Amino acid sequence: MKLHNAHKTCWNCPAAILKGNVDFRACGQSLEAIRQRIEREGLLIECARLPDLGHFEPTITFEECPEWRPTKYGYLLENMRVMILGIDGYLGWTLALKLGALGCEVSGVDCFLRRKMVRELGADSVVPIYPMEERLKAAKEVLDIDIKFRKINILDREKLGQFMREVQPEAIVHYGEIPSAPYSMIDCDHAIQVQYNNVIGTLGLLFLMKEICPEASLIKLGTLGEYGAPLTGRPLFEGLFPADAILRWRGREWSLGGELTPRDPVSFYHVSKVQDTFNIYEACKYWWLRSYDVMQGVIYGVHTDEVAADPRLRTRLDVDEWFGTVVNRFVAQAILGMPLTVYGEGEQIRGFIALEDAMECMVRLISSPPEPGQYDVVNQVSGLYKVSELAETVARVAAEFGYDVKIQRVENPRVEADYHPFEVVSTKLPNELGFTPKVPLEVEIRRMFELLTQPHIVERIKKVAHLIRPRTWWSGEKRVVETLEVYRPGTRRRRGFKPKLITDRERFPTSKMEEVERAVEALGEGGDGDKG
Amino acid sequence: MGRGAIIGLDGVPHGLVEDLAHRGVMPNFRELLDEGVLKPMRSSIPAVSAVSWSSMMTGANPGVHGVYGYTEFLPGTYVVAYHSSRWLKAQPFWRRDPSKRYVIINLPATYPAGEVNGVLISGFVAPDLERAVYPRQLLEELRELNYKVDVDYVRASSSPLLLFKELAETLKTRVEVCRRLVERLKWDVLVFVITGTDRLEHFLWDAYRDERHEWHGEFLEYFRHVDEAIGEIINLLEEDDALMIISDHGMEHIEVNVNLNRLLEDWGYLKLENDPKRSYNAIRRGTKAFALDPSRIYLNRVGRYPRGSVEKSDEEKLLGELTELLQDFKWRGRRVIKRVYRREELYHGDAVDKAPDLVLVPEEGFNLRAGLFRGEVFEREEGLSGKHTEWDALLYVRGVEGDAVPDSPSIEDVLPLFQRLMEGEPSEAS
Repeated sequence: MKLHNAHKTCWNCPAAILKGNVDFRACGQSLEAIRQRIEREGLLIECARLPDLGHFEPTITFEECPEWRPTKYGYLLENMRVMILGIDGYLGWTLALKLGALGCEVSGVDCFLRRKMVRELGADSVVPIYPMEERLKAAKEVLDIDIKFRKINILDREKLGQFMREVQPEAIVHYGEIPSAPYSMIDCDHAIQVQYNNVIGTLGLLFLMKEICPEASLIKLGTLGEYGAPLTGRPLFEGLFPADAILRWRGREWSLGGELTPRDPVSFYHVSKVQDTFNIYEACKYWWLRSYDVMQGVIYGVHTDEVAADPRLRTRLDVDEWFGTVVNRFVAQAILGMPLTVYGEGEQIRGFIALEDAMECMVRLISSPPEPGQYDVVNQVSGLYKVSELAETVARVAAEFGYDVKIQRVENPRVEADYHPFEVVSTKLPNELGFTPKVPLEVEIRRMFELLTQPHIVERIKKVAHLIRPRTWWSGEKRVVETLEVYRPGTRRRRGFKPKLITDRERFPTSKMEEVERAVEALGEGGDGDKG
Repeated sequence: MGRGAIIGLDGVPHGLVEDLAHRGVMPNFRELLDEGVLKPMRSSIPAVSAVSWSSMMTGANPGVHGVYGYTEFLPGTYVVAYHSSRWLKAQPFWRRDPSKRYVIINLPATYPAGEVNGVLISGFVAPDLERAVYPRQLLEELRELNYKVDVDYVRASSSPLLLFKELAETLKTRVEVCRRLVERLKWDVLVFVITGTDRLEHFLWDAYRDERHEWHGEFLEYFRHVDEAIGEIINLLEEDDALMIISDHGMEHIEVNVNLNRLLEDWGYLKLENDPKRSYNAIRRGTKAFALDPSRIYLNRVGRYPRGSVEKSDEEKLLGELTELLQDFKWRGRRVIKRVYRREELYHGDAVDKAPDLVLVPEEGFNLRAGLFRGEVFEREEGLSGKHTEWDALLYVRGVEGDAVPDSPSIEDVLPLFQRLMEGEPSEAS
């Protein structure tokens, strides 16, 4: 059993610079404009890392190449240059440390917009976070990681371009977006701010990548919310329809294979992500860029080994109505003794993933770049839950910590279905990228209680307590929602639809994957063994 | 010692020049015929530009210079590497005598361009202009002139109209660059190669042979331009400068393509995994032999390749078997292979151990190629109409009598002959 990306070749590698293709029929006619004609035979590359090899066909596998080293997440390009946009954020900082610990050369930009927005709304990260300078120092001291940071707003294309030229990234993780649906629904100014930052920021980035690093892969954070929740029960495929999806109309049939699936965004923020999707899809088509568009479920949690290594390395955690995701809000409410606020019926189903699992997925995606011109989508989710179910789980764990928690149903300020079927296809991460979720919901919630119940953090939670209950209505109304019902956990009968997560994992048993990982781990911490 | 110039006409057969000179399409060449000697010349085997120009620039056998084709495997792998001037094991003439000043324009198989006393602009295949030029200071001027090493293949293959446009523009710029350099620099040796000839012939050889062909007129028109270019270059020379015009191989009509790897598979010598994406990495254990373009056959030796399956003790038997099969191999009753060469019959020198075990020379009309993952052994060609030949390259020498040129010259004779011409002693005997 091999690592998930052992079979990938130079064709996927960001160090491979396309030099054209060669027509062997006619004494080696060279084709500069390869991008117009995809012919595998006679394709010519040069390796940016091993220029002495000259020009050759892109057929060296990651397993064979001395530049790719085995790690527990698959082969990883040695000292891979990964640039993180939005490196100061909840995910950006966490990923930076994880990649740094794996030996990547991490660089990143941020303009601290998130810190500013949260503070302007009167809130703050409940887990204290340090200024970037301190963070970088601590990363070096505690984990021996050097991170190259530049304060840049991604809308400033000139500065971003300069930095990209300097770093020559081999992968770019794009977290540099405003990640909040309610924030985008506050008013016109906020909607415009979100869409401008997200859509124009990404569009500008695509042009820069085309010019500066077309071989780098773009790992772009989308959201599972791009798909909406189709009331027909149609599964949420991974971005594109599978080949055997059929459209039938008036007795005729068409295959939908390869077409983008419908998107049904549920806020102006989600619309910005959908627009990004189309812009990236086109850029891959026009310019042979390559990208994973990551439809990530709602993220929660506080833990990775790296952020937990020192208080100065902790990543932010927001619990306000705009930037706090649901599990994070529930834990804060439980600690405050507030009933957990479930919107509407609480029967809404969403996809979720713990911080640590999400980071592992990202590393796996970085380690397994798409082919030139390939736009691919992964649904990055480890479990599907109803909101009311999550409240029950948080209440259950809270009880272990001595908190007696109630649940309250409040008016739903959003425009969304209370009852809906929900079937998510997520087969690529488990089967093609070797990912198995490691962090059960309860485990991460427990970790959250352990951290958030520390007295200095409880104090910080108290300060933002008044900002947890929503007041941003999709209708534009501005008033705090009213309580509809308060109940004790375990007393409410579940109704509505059962979620369904399709992973096809039974076809690719995880036991084998784990076997591989154990073997790699045996090579040493970080798995940087020599391939010989 | 005087100065000397070599004009190269890539892929132009001796017969074509003679024909067009007499038909009035190439009047400058017609005049040259009265002033010197034109003979057919043997190309390298295999007759591909990388090998033949390497032989020309070193005056050496492939067994010495080490270039056997455009492709080789990276050592110890089945990864196809593409020709680089770094492969050359023998010194080219500008390295051998660095006291002379050289202007070398568009000489194939010299990419990336290394150091030279003078100027070197590589010919095809040159993925980046930047590394095709020595010294680099010339780059800006070449870019301003929109200098191209080769015709844009995508444009050229999308329409013959664009092909002719590309050919004309590329030639014009090339001559202009030559004129500027020759007038600006003090030089001893000028090498100027026209490669559009090879490109045109590959695409439209039939347009030359068939007078009713839609593009016949344009084909001849291009050779008129080539002849004018020759005239312009000669005008840049002094009368007593030595002058040779050569081609590196000939050209003929493709009747049918022969996919050698498909053939080896059918005969059971080559075993492939069913994955064209893996290219030669798809070679499985048990494979006895495989082919590389255009007509080279290698034994899959143990110790040399990752899944080598031929022990030393089996080599002789295998080569015997293959030779016999190939000699008897027929298409519609016609023999396909004119001659199967063992490597020791063709090559001698320190680099022979890297030579192919067998090299094939086809009968007329058969276009031998590696053809990995092809459905059939024989395939009609769609898109190209000309293929290289080994036997009718051309060699012209100005200002000498017939006996100054060997009777059946080969491309390896060009350099010694040129050196003698420069020294004013054209004949080996004199």
